[in-house]
Amino acid sequence: MKIKVLYLIAGIIFVAGIAGCILALSAPKTGVVRISQNGMVVREIDISKAEDQFIEMEFEGRKNLIEIKNGEIRVSHADCSDKVCVNMGRLRSGIPIVCLPNRLVIEFAENDFDAVVN
Amino acid sequence: MKIKFAFLIFALLIFTACGSTDNSTEYSKEFFAMDTYVKFTAYGENAEDALELAEKRFVEIEAMWSVTDESSDIYAVNHANGNSVTVSEQTADLIAYSLQTANETKTFEPTIYPILTAWGFTTGENRVPSAEEIKEFLHNVGSERVTVVGNSVRLEQDVQLDLGAVGKGAAGDEVIQILRENGITSALLDIGGNIQLIGQKNGADWRLGIRSPFGEGTIGVLEISDAAVVTSGNYERFFTDENGISYGHIIDPSTGYPADSGLASATIVASEGKRADALSTAVFVMGLENAAEFWREKRDFEMILILQNGEIYLTEGLKERFTLNLAYDRGVHVIEYEN
Repeated sequence: MKIKVLYLIAGIIFVAGIAGCILALSAPKTGVVRISQNGMVVREIDISKAEDQFIEMEFEGRKNLIEIKNGEIRVSHADCSDKVCVNMGRLRSGIPIVCLPNRLVIEFAENDFDAVVN
Repeated sequence: MKIKFAFLIFALLIFTACGSTDNSTEYSKEFFAMDTYVKFTAYGENAEDALELAEKRFVEIEAMWSVTDESSDIYAVNHANGNSVTVSEQTADLIAYSLQTANETKTFEPTIYPILTAWGFTTGENRVPSAEEIKEFLHNVGSERVTVVGNSVRLEQDVQLDLGAVGKGAAGDEVIQILRENGITSALLDIGGNIQLIGQKNGADWRLGIRSPFGEGTIGVLEISDAAVVTSGNYERFFTDENGISYGHIIDPSTGYPADSGLASATIVASEGKRADALSTAVFVMGLENAAEFWREKRDFEMILILQNGEIYLTEGLKERFTLNLAYDRGVHVIEYEN
């Protein structure tokens, strides 16, 4: 009986540890998001402070609609065939939202560097 | 039973594993000096006291090397009317280093100050000087007009020294030395975008973003430790005349006009700050071909050059350390040891 309780405690600690790690490693340090298209930064916006809004991006006639809502950002509409960027949902970690056909990248701006050389 | 006990211990370790990446306390100091924003970050028990000493030293150095502060070594040298002036050992060393680098590169020039002033880059009142004016000022430019003997420095009449293109890096070197003497093994100095590093951060390379000369973002990330990384580019300080022509603040000492080498920025990685600082300016003026040749000859630094057309050239030593930003899709080329 004692051993089973021990197992249970160990199991809970193990799962909590893994979950804690995932949370700690995926949480961005700031709310500043960088939107770039075709290699150029179009906009840097602090989504934790920004008002709810839509930003329309156009590339060679094709459009992406970016939605900022309740301090979160996602691509809500894209007129390309695969819709990968829309399906990625909200930007949550260091992994950027990318729309390859429209050369659009949405990523957290400052969580990636210790400093910027300029 | 032993195995179960081991499992429990393992579970407990997992629980603490990711929290412990921060192996020591982080301290930082932020202040304005040398006309720029400075931030020192250091890790470890003694970091707070060490940073205190570092800031104090940095401010002392600024007072020594300022062109405008009337009590500075450089001011005294510049206003000696052709006479010798005794300066501090650090000042004499840095002037000697500047002369040596000028001779070595032919594109770094510590006596360019009068030309910078003619263009208004030192006063903020930008103008395009006439060709005659530039010709006349160029007459007073040349590191052969400066003599350093021991701690005594002499400039020929009408020659002026400015350590602006090497001073921040050299001041960073002094700070690095102080921090090391105080037992610091992990630190990052950000001196107005000049980055100098001691050791690693939590056992891994530091991640430095390289600013894009074409916008607000970065072109990629450089993973590096124990190094100085400095970028020069005309995107930082320039003005545009009534005809829409842009003039950058980095002057080609052979012409007296802003450097027009086809580069948008030059980033140098070296072990010393003064080397990285001086060479970033020198290489920017050289342009791609001459810079590549210079690098093959010296081999004591690495570089990332961004051309005005957006193409990136990096030296072989940085190939494994540089990762291009996903959003930046222009060509990357490697400059190899063997041409």
